[in-house]
Amino acid sequence: MTRTAKIFAGLVLFVVLVLTGIMFAAYGRANAPEQPIKFSHKVHAGDFGIACEYCHSYARRSTVAGVPSVARCMGCHKVTALDKPEVKKLADYWNRKEPIPWVKVFDQPDFVYFSHQPHIAKGIACQSCHGAVEQMEKVREAVVVNMARCVNCHMEKKASIDCWTCHK
Amino acid sequence: MPRWGMAIDLDRCTGCQACVVACKQENNVPFSTPAEAEYGRGISWIKLMTVTEGEYPEVKVRYIPMFCQHCDHPPSVKVCPTGAMFKASPEMGSTVGHVYARCIGCRYCANACPYQIVYFNWNEPSWPEELKLSFNPDKSIRYKGVVEKCEFCDHRQQMAKDRAAAEGRDLRGEGDYVPACVQSCPTQAMVFGDLDDPSTRVYKLAKSPRAYRMQEDLGTEPKVYYLKQGE
Repeated sequence: MTRTAKIFAGLVLFVVLVLTGIMFAAYGRANAPEQPIKFSHKVHAGDFGIACEYCHSYARRSTVAGVPSVARCMGCHKVTALDKPEVKKLADYWNRKEPIPWVKVFDQPDFVYFSHQPHIAKGIACQSCHGAVEQMEKVREAVVVNMARCVNCHMEKKASIDCWTCHK
Repeated sequence: MPRWGMAIDLDRCTGCQACVVACKQENNVPFSTPAEAEYGRGISWIKLMTVTEGEYPEVKVRYIPMFCQHCDHPPSVKVCPTGAMFKASPEMGSTVGHVYARCIGCRYCANACPYQIVYFNWNEPSWPEELKLSFNPDKSIRYKGVVEKCEFCDHRQQMAKDRAAAEGRDLRGEGDYVPACVQSCPTQAMVFGDLDDPSTRVYKLAKSPRAYRMQEDLGTEPKVYYLKQGE
């Protein structure tokens, strides 16, 4: 490799790194946080086709979708996939009677009032705000849920766009 | 489509200030230090105005709970440069609301309001350690540099609306939700409901010959009615 080519390659690498840095800064929330257990939505919701609401069972009746209890996980994992290392971690939490400290991925600011219940009742697909979670090994905020997204959808669906509907 | 309003029977008001405390707790209103209060920077979405009449020993004190009058023509909304202060649509009750995230703290609204009930956060809000356990998660906490005021406990309306929708009906003009002050009033001097619905108590009280509104001549059309005290 000539000296010029080296400099050029270095320059390209530098530009790519800077651009990635800017992208990550701008879409910082799109990062997938490290979870205590490598739970794969792709396996559960994608390959096995388990409905979102089987585990996130509060979505249809509450403001929050709810993170399933360890007991809900153990409902299946008492009998299935016992040999997998990640399932063993789950069993450890179960035996220690400890909740799993999952890291929240989708979070709204404190001044936002959002309730899952009316949205589920109207038949809005989970994926329309959460992205294709069933294809993700590790959940990330693939869709940025900001005010523009909320208001656009509310306008399309002729739902209320009064400030009071969502701000508290 | 409710048009939320309130009627306060001043004959029933004993000046106990339960509404003042309830409001402070419900809406996470910050406490202020005595030094700040001396500057007139204390925040209390409801305050009890006292009017003393007569001379000793013939003294009479009148109490008037004073908070946002939720005008139909609110001057505070007209002057807001960012749209943070807004009048809600009829489906959300036509009250006067405020989006803190949008507020730039210019305080035009505080100066335009003829009732002087818009409060500015001069400091980072603070609470005694013990009281942090009593935060209401349904209401956002405001920060330094924005204004705040009574909002007829709109967060309660949001939840009541969702409950009503789940039951497949509209919000009723009375009984589905009341603000914290009305709920706490021991003498039921405060009555809350839809001013456009002739079946509600507040409608009847607003039509009473005793009813008056604050500074009616300004044309702000407040939605809070006071019922005159008898002699």
